Amino acid sequence: MADSVEEIKKAQKLYILIGLVLFVFTVVTVAVATQPWLDFGEHGFDKADMMLGLLIATVKATLVGAIFMHLNHEKKMIYVLFGLGIIMGIALMLLTGLSFADPIKYGNPTTGDGFYDPDIPEID
Amino acid sequence: MEIPYTFTARKDTGLFNSKIGIWLFLASEVMLFGGLFSGYVFLRLYADYPWPERALPVLPGVINTFVLIGSSVTVVFAWASLKMRQWGRFQFFMGITILCAVVFMVLKGMEYNAKWHHQAVRLDDFTILEGHTHKAELDDHGHLHAFHHGDEIPPEAFPQNVVVVEAEEIDFTLVRAYKPYVEDILAKAKERGAVPVLVDHAFFYGSPKDLPIDPAERKKLEDQLIKSHESSKEAVRFGDKKDSLYIPKGTHLTVDLLDRAKGVYLDARAINGEVRTEVLRKLWKEARKADKEGLPDFKLAEGIQIDPEKHLTGHVAEAPAALNFKFEKPVALHFKRSVIREGEGSSKLKDDTIIKGAVASSPLGLSVDAVDLRWVAQRALEQNKDPKTVIEGLWIMENKEFKEIWERHSAQLATLEAKLAEDGREPTENDRYRIDWQDLVAFHRAHEKHLEADSPEVPSLRPGMFEGITGPNHNIEENQHAFFSIDIPNEKVGFESLFTPKWNNYYAIYFALTGLHGLHVVGGALVLSYFLFFSKGLYRRNPEWLANRVEIGGLFWHFVDLVWIFLFPILYLM
Repeated sequence: MADSVEEIKKAQKLYILIGLVLFVFTVVTVAVATQPWLDFGEHGFDKADMMLGLLIATVKATLVGAIFMHLNHEKKMIYVLFGLGIIMGIALMLLTGLSFADPIKYGNPTTGDGFYDPDIPEID
Repeated sequence: MEIPYTFTARKDTGLFNSKIGIWLFLASEVMLFGGLFSGYVFLRLYADYPWPERALPVLPGVINTFVLIGSSVTVVFAWASLKMRQWGRFQFFMGITILCAVVFMVLKGMEYNAKWHHQAVRLDDFTILEGHTHKAELDDHGHLHAFHHGDEIPPEAFPQNVVVVEAEEIDFTLVRAYKPYVEDILAKAKERGAVPVLVDHAFFYGSPKDLPIDPAERKKLEDQLIKSHESSKEAVRFGDKKDSLYIPKGTHLTVDLLDRAKGVYLDARAINGEVRTEVLRKLWKEARKADKEGLPDFKLAEGIQIDPEKHLTGHVAEAPAALNFKFEKPVALHFKRSVIREGEGSSKLKDDTIIKGAVASSPLGLSVDAVDLRWVAQRALEQNKDPKTVIEGLWIMENKEFKEIWERHSAQLATLEAKLAEDGREPTENDRYRIDWQDLVAFHRAHEKHLEADSPEVPSLRPGMFEGITGPNHNIEENQHAFFSIDIPNEKVGFESLFTPKWNNYYAIYFALTGLHGLHVVGGALVLSYFLFFSKGLYRRNPEWLANRVEIGGLFWHFVDLVWIFLFPILYLM
């Protein structure tokens, strides 16, 4: 870790640089979402835009983690602890994903409707 | 006892205590937010209604992203300053960090506030209208009198999103009657110079001793009570221990009266419950004794039954579960739509209070700033119908102003379609079926300039990111004319809500995620403020320890930033 005063002084330049990179990435994300000339894939929001948006977000998050949170040079114990958290987090997401493998088919087979029938009025 | 490794590192792990602690905590946070994010994915993929795509104003989100990234840089500089033992510089950077947190929360507050004042209505034909409700009041005849922009609105006016009932009778279920509703009904009735009075004499026998077994005797007792309190019109206690209550016909409704009646009713119910249990125990014992075959319990239970006349007469109390009040002549009462389920001749409040009387014309007056027909189109396609034909037959097309707007929109859509077709692309569902507030303003501006709908100038007339930073602003004179007004008849309203979690799953998960994140921002800012304002002493005694603490607080702060980095594109841009 950047513990000595000299190292910290050096690292400050890096922090500013990373901050700027994050600003730029934010502008890029917004531009991709709002500017027609940067609209990838189909017209409007689609998978390509989603992948790009999430990719940029992941890069940004990695930069914050690696540089600001010093994960680029941490002690082994922290990798173990945080790594377990991430694995569990991903496991949680995958568990939700299991619902796609649900063998019970939804609702009315002729109309293909789900559980929810919009023709039945809602009750507050 | 000295706690080891508070600021020096342990040899084997190379870490001090709090660092292990914060990383453990962050690991749990990853799982918490991970679960919520997957919840978002699940809700979105399984949504059976058009998902509100890019529904939030982008600018506050962008500013908040900048603010949080900026604060991540300053908090790391604050830590570096402490490492270099520069107290003044630390104060400066930490101060900016906390200021950023304040800016973030203020913007979030503005965004939430805009949502909480924005009305959405789903009509019974699945047209979705967004906008702001007009104010209204009941005039002397009990009719809804709406105020449109320009009218002077009296302070007692309410948002025109109510159901008016010409109440003749009201039935209160004693255990369920909700005090604020009762008070509300009383206040409204008083305003109109009416008082609900009890329809018939009510006798609450709170003790079995007070209830004569012989019907003739009972009638005599009741007649006596009626006669002796003929003029009082007030509830009276009677019986040996004054456990019972008599309420004469014509008694005025009060909250206290319902409370007293409820008290006796509950006492009577408790007594009766005990009596029944006792009887059952006795019967059970007898049955077990008489049983020679050793039947199992469930078989034995079939033969055990309470005979009301034999077992209960003379042992139980008796009290009505509801009280029925009436007005001399029908009184117009208004209720929030979310509170009442209106029916022909009889409506029901959420607390099971039944209001008998005709539902008066109580249209929902809306200044419309967006019309979303995506659900209509989706349903039409599901039923193998042509969305365009279905849309043309919608109720909202009867509105001349909207019809004109729709025609302009269709012309513009045709232009867009032709333009996109050159690259083999197609307009999105949003392009086709949703008319946003920016579109309405652009159409209005084009109208003023006498431009054709498909004129290439029209798109540039749309308000930019900076106009209406948190959404459509109905207070600007120009917008007031761009947003058309509509009176939606009561029976056309399928579902209505402000833009709160109630409206749909998108807003539910939006408020859950951003609300939880906002709490993290507040919590983080409080901890960092403590370092800034109350840690000078520690800095003098042991600056390294304070630096470690700031590092821990900073790690949490970076994590808050990291979560936002995902929240922003997912909720605002996708």
